[in-house]
Amino acid sequence: MSELFMIAILVGALFTMLAMGMWVGFALTLTGALGMVMFTSAPLAPILATTFWGNSHSWALAALPLFILMGEILLRSRLSEDMFTGLTPWLGKVPGKLLHVNILGCAIFAAVSGSSAATAATIGKMSVPELQKRGYPDSLILGTLAGSATLGLLIPPSIILIVYGVSTEQSIARLFIAGILPGIMLVGMFAAYIAVIALWKPEIFPKEELNFSFVEKLRASKRLIPVLALIVGVIGSIYAGIASPTDAAAVGVVLSLVLAWSSGSLSWDMFKQSAMSATITSCMIAFILVGAAFLTVSMGFTGIPRNLASWIDTLNLGPWALLAALTVFFVVLGCFLDGISVVVLTTAIIMPMIDAAGIDPLWFGIYLVIVVEMSQITPPVGFNLFVIQGLTGYNIFKIAKAALPFFVLLLVAVVLITTFPQIVTALPNLMRG
Amino acid sequence: MRKALDRIYLAAGSLSAICILAICVIVTMQVVFNLMTKILGTQFAYTIPSYADFAGFLLAAASFLALSYTLKHDGHIRVTLFRDMLHGKLGRFVEVCTLLLCAAAAAFMTYAMTGFIMESIEYGDVSTGIIPIPLWIPQSTLLLGLTLFTIALIDNAVGAILGKTDAGPIDKIEEEQHDV
Repeated sequence: MSELFMIAILVGALFTMLAMGMWVGFALTLTGALGMVMFTSAPLAPILATTFWGNSHSWALAALPLFILMGEILLRSRLSEDMFTGLTPWLGKVPGKLLHVNILGCAIFAAVSGSSAATAATIGKMSVPELQKRGYPDSLILGTLAGSATLGLLIPPSIILIVYGVSTEQSIARLFIAGILPGIMLVGMFAAYIAVIALWKPEIFPKEELNFSFVEKLRASKRLIPVLALIVGVIGSIYAGIASPTDAAAVGVVLSLVLAWSSGSLSWDMFKQSAMSATITSCMIAFILVGAAFLTVSMGFTGIPRNLASWIDTLNLGPWALLAALTVFFVVLGCFLDGISVVVLTTAIIMPMIDAAGIDPLWFGIYLVIVVEMSQITPPVGFNLFVIQGLTGYNIFKIAKAALPFFVLLLVAVVLITTFPQIVTALPNLMRG
Repeated sequence: MRKALDRIYLAAGSLSAICILAICVIVTMQVVFNLMTKILGTQFAYTIPSYADFAGFLLAAASFLALSYTLKHDGHIRVTLFRDMLHGKLGRFVEVCTLLLCAAAAAFMTYAMTGFIMESIEYGDVSTGIIPIPLWIPQSTLLLGLTLFTIALIDNAVGAILGKTDAGPIDKIEEEQHDV
């Protein structure tokens, strides 16, 4: 049977099911089942059950619900309220002033929550009215929020990197560490963009004097510092090789409970909400993961990814052309699918191609996450745009236009890490073990 | 009937949450033991036997037992953008088809898992860690979770066929918006 026909049937089936509104986990599993039944003679039921079991009980994956739970607890412990008051005094003298609260607030919050929509919603709820009241330009308020909220996908501990690590059998610890420098670089690029605009067109910024003494600064951010310390501790212990991501996540949960208790926000109800909400989110991800794992196994039987890889190989595209094509493909795909589904689909179909092209899978993980970040703010269906629309009531295209410079900055970041892969690989290469 | 079913989904969801908390407790305890060994010397070395295995089994249980509860919370990811463009009868028809297809798929997963566990029992498969655990025990949590998932999907399909609007969430857990 011709290869093209197989691909057309399977891709057609997958997208029909997705468009019908079928849950992603089911759509992936059924596509896998269809491929296996139509094009191979492998026994369906035993392989399905083995794959589900084999991909649901790994030690590395145990980090997933724990990091989600840690985020849920911290989200409910008045963290977002502290963010504005805690960051404001430090940023009064920087060109662009309080717009940097959006960027830094999102970066810190993103590290905690790992979800870009939750970051946009929570930070935006507090910073958008405040910044508007102070007279900052709308386009920059919305743009910084939309752009910076996507940082949640990259800055460790990142849920999406756990998913990538588990489904491509890459070390989650190394992926986390690899995300640090690109994450800091993006925060720096966003902040620099705001600073340049502020110096170039100072008239669009409000003239407010913000003077705080050092003691006042410390006092304002006294509740923010423990959270920062927690994140740095979690990442630091993974980097130093003291703890595996799962160990660090478990301790992180306990410490976030202590933080919530000390700020007086811990209650039975809050604890229950956090635990149940984390259960839902991690179940949702686990179901997609086992569905994708089965699709990967099924594709292995059909040989499609292998043949696709050798076909791409004969085109002699070179890594740049291949990555350019993939970037367009992912951004389009990401317009319709959530980040996790994009990642797991990639690992089922595209990884052999990446291996064949000689691209480092660790580097590719970071690249993939940044591209998925871009897709979150691509009109008309980028997920973050919807969240901000719901929050502010503005037209989606106004928000998309405000987010466009940040889309471009993300694209520049992709070019930068492709030109200088050391941005991604330097830190993991320094790690012990 | 409605209440009984909702109570079962909720119980399974709560059990999942307890599994996740149990992972947290086991792993934290092991980290504390490791610290004690570092500080006090190797004569105080203590390892929770097979703790990585247990964490894994609890994770599998948490992931599968929560399937029905997550479904009832609309927590599973789907793309409704295109289906929402279909109005009236056609939209409802597509929704019912999707639900029936998913229910059939879940029933097949349940069937496949049953066969898999029967084999585990027949061959006496045990885990490879220090404590050999018969694998059918943790695997049964997957079977239970998939069975409840099938029931919940049939439940939703029947609701959609009868044209009932969603009865609302089964408990008062508010979710964050998650896209991740």
